[in-house]
Amino acid sequence: MNLTRAKKICFIFSLSFLILISDSVQKTSFAADIGNCLLCHKYPGLSRVDEEGRMRLFFINESIYNNGVHAKVKCEGCHTDITEIPHKAAKKVDCLVECHIIEPTTETKFSHKDVATFIKTSVHGKVDKIGNDKKFSEDYPSCKDCHDEPLYRPLSFFKKVRPGISEASLGRCRVCHKKDDFIYQFYNHVTTRLHKSRNPLNIAEMCGRCHDDSSLVTRHGLSTKAVFSYGETFHGKAATFLDERVPDCLDCHVNKGESVHQMLSHKDPLSSIHETNKGKVCATIDCHPSASPKLANYGVHSEFNLTQSPAQYFFTFFFIVLTGGTLLPLMGIIFLDLVRRFFPHATIGRRK
Amino acid sequence: MEKYPAIKIKDGQKYFYRFSLNQRIQHFILAFTIVILVLTGMPLKFNEASWAPYLYSLFGGIQYAPTVHKVNGAILVGLFFYHIFYLIYVIRKYYIEPAKKKGALKKFGALKIVLTQKMAPNLKDAYDIRDLMKYLLFLTAKRPDGDEMTWKEKFDYWAPFWGMVVIGASGVILWNKELFTQILPGGVLNFLLIAHSDEALLAALFLFIWHWYNVHFSISVFPMGTVFLTGYLSEELMVEEHYQHYVDVMKKAGLEHEILPPHGAHGHESPEGGASS
Repeated sequence: MNLTRAKKICFIFSLSFLILISDSVQKTSFAADIGNCLLCHKYPGLSRVDEEGRMRLFFINESIYNNGVHAKVKCEGCHTDITEIPHKAAKKVDCLVECHIIEPTTETKFSHKDVATFIKTSVHGKVDKIGNDKKFSEDYPSCKDCHDEPLYRPLSFFKKVRPGISEASLGRCRVCHKKDDFIYQFYNHVTTRLHKSRNPLNIAEMCGRCHDDSSLVTRHGLSTKAVFSYGETFHGKAATFLDERVPDCLDCHVNKGESVHQMLSHKDPLSSIHETNKGKVCATIDCHPSASPKLANYGVHSEFNLTQSPAQYFFTFFFIVLTGGTLLPLMGIIFLDLVRRFFPHATIGRRK
Repeated sequence: MEKYPAIKIKDGQKYFYRFSLNQRIQHFILAFTIVILVLTGMPLKFNEASWAPYLYSLFGGIQYAPTVHKVNGAILVGLFFYHIFYLIYVIRKYYIEPAKKKGALKKFGALKIVLTQKMAPNLKDAYDIRDLMKYLLFLTAKRPDGDEMTWKEKFDYWAPFWGMVVIGASGVILWNKELFTQILPGGVLNFLLIAHSDEALLAALFLFIWHWYNVHFSISVFPMGTVFLTGYLSEELMVEEHYQHYVDVMKKAGLEHEILPPHGAHGHESPEGGASS
């Protein structure tokens, strides 16, 4: 084999290899990686120890990201401070930035700013109606206290419903829509919005991060550890068994048809759980349609607590005493019976 | 009642009539449904326990276990009402009507008959408890001479009876909360849930500790008493637990000369010097 022929063969192999690589790159990276960020972030081991000593993983699983809610958003769309590669430590993402996505109905740049407006007037807003900071305003949640990027969620192998796109359903989309890119994007968007992305247990655990925090509950004068007391009801117990049919916090605390970001205090007459409205919450068509408003007087957040619900406290105490008072003497008799059988003839003093 | 002889002899051993087939079937349904109700109820009461999801999944998990619980609860409530009618039927047919025929039914006679039924608690039960404590504390060597139904059996009967009223009624209301809260305030459900679940825990512990000790784990019956299957109790156990009734039955059957001395069940010499069976 002469050198020229060897060169030709090498060239053909190299070309074939490049074509193969470029083909695979085309297949997997239809997401908006215009900045070529995945050049580095595709490596699973990409990580470093940050200034606070925490191990930070910077790996982006491309296939999961491509199926996520932000698949069409450029990396720079959220990480606006990154303008060059290699880059310095990125700032925390501001969820209210305008990204490059165009909202199709108004043809304006998309942003989550409306949510911030909703939150501002809700029970979770940091300022009161006059505009002053609420007490302990730093305790009130920001976007990422409740939301996360699905990319960073643990893989849920246990779920019966397979996450991701249903190929069978995509066939219906293709009847009218021709571009797969469009189909994937909007199918994902619509189905994500139509279904709950988290089960009631996940929601309760999320809310519990603040609402079960004793110091927060005390500081804000809340009457209950809300998720703990929810867990004492059938709804909460069923949620721990991963029942997706039972109501979670959001189902009751948000008016039907409104965004969860518009949640109001129970003292607000417009709140779904205000004394005058809560009857309707239980009696929705999906829950207890034939219920009278009286059902809503059920103490959903009752605790075994002398201050909060003394009547229930003493009622429970009665059963504890009844149980102990019944079982302890009987168990004593069992014990004495077992001992007596070892010494059937023995008596103390005169045998009668 | 006549179809069951008071004493049966099998392989030279005497067996004494205790429960009719009807009563044994009632007990079987009661035992079966209670075990299922406990197994499908406790995982919900202790939902945070590590074993709860595994036990619950045996009954179909949160999708099906509540239905299994309700179906068994409904059967148990049905059995409760059947038992009430059964009691009324038996007392009327075998006690009130014969007394009427004899013309011996006086004012409040029916009430007296009800209050003197063999399952009704009486003063002898109190004396028997006192005497048992004396025996267990080594103050006497003599066990109490139990009647046909001892205080233990009456306890075993009336505790679940009370339990079924509390658990059954609260269960039915909680099941049909939409209907009942047309009248009752919703806050009542909180109390009913406490009553349902705490009384159920008491009942389960009572049955699985106390009742099972007496009928399964006690040295006299281990590994299992058979009276709930056959309806007949061995002579040894009759002597140990129902000596007064045993003597009555033996005398009625004309077997006075074969009456065993008390304390025979432990297999030691009786105070009179006779050997036990």
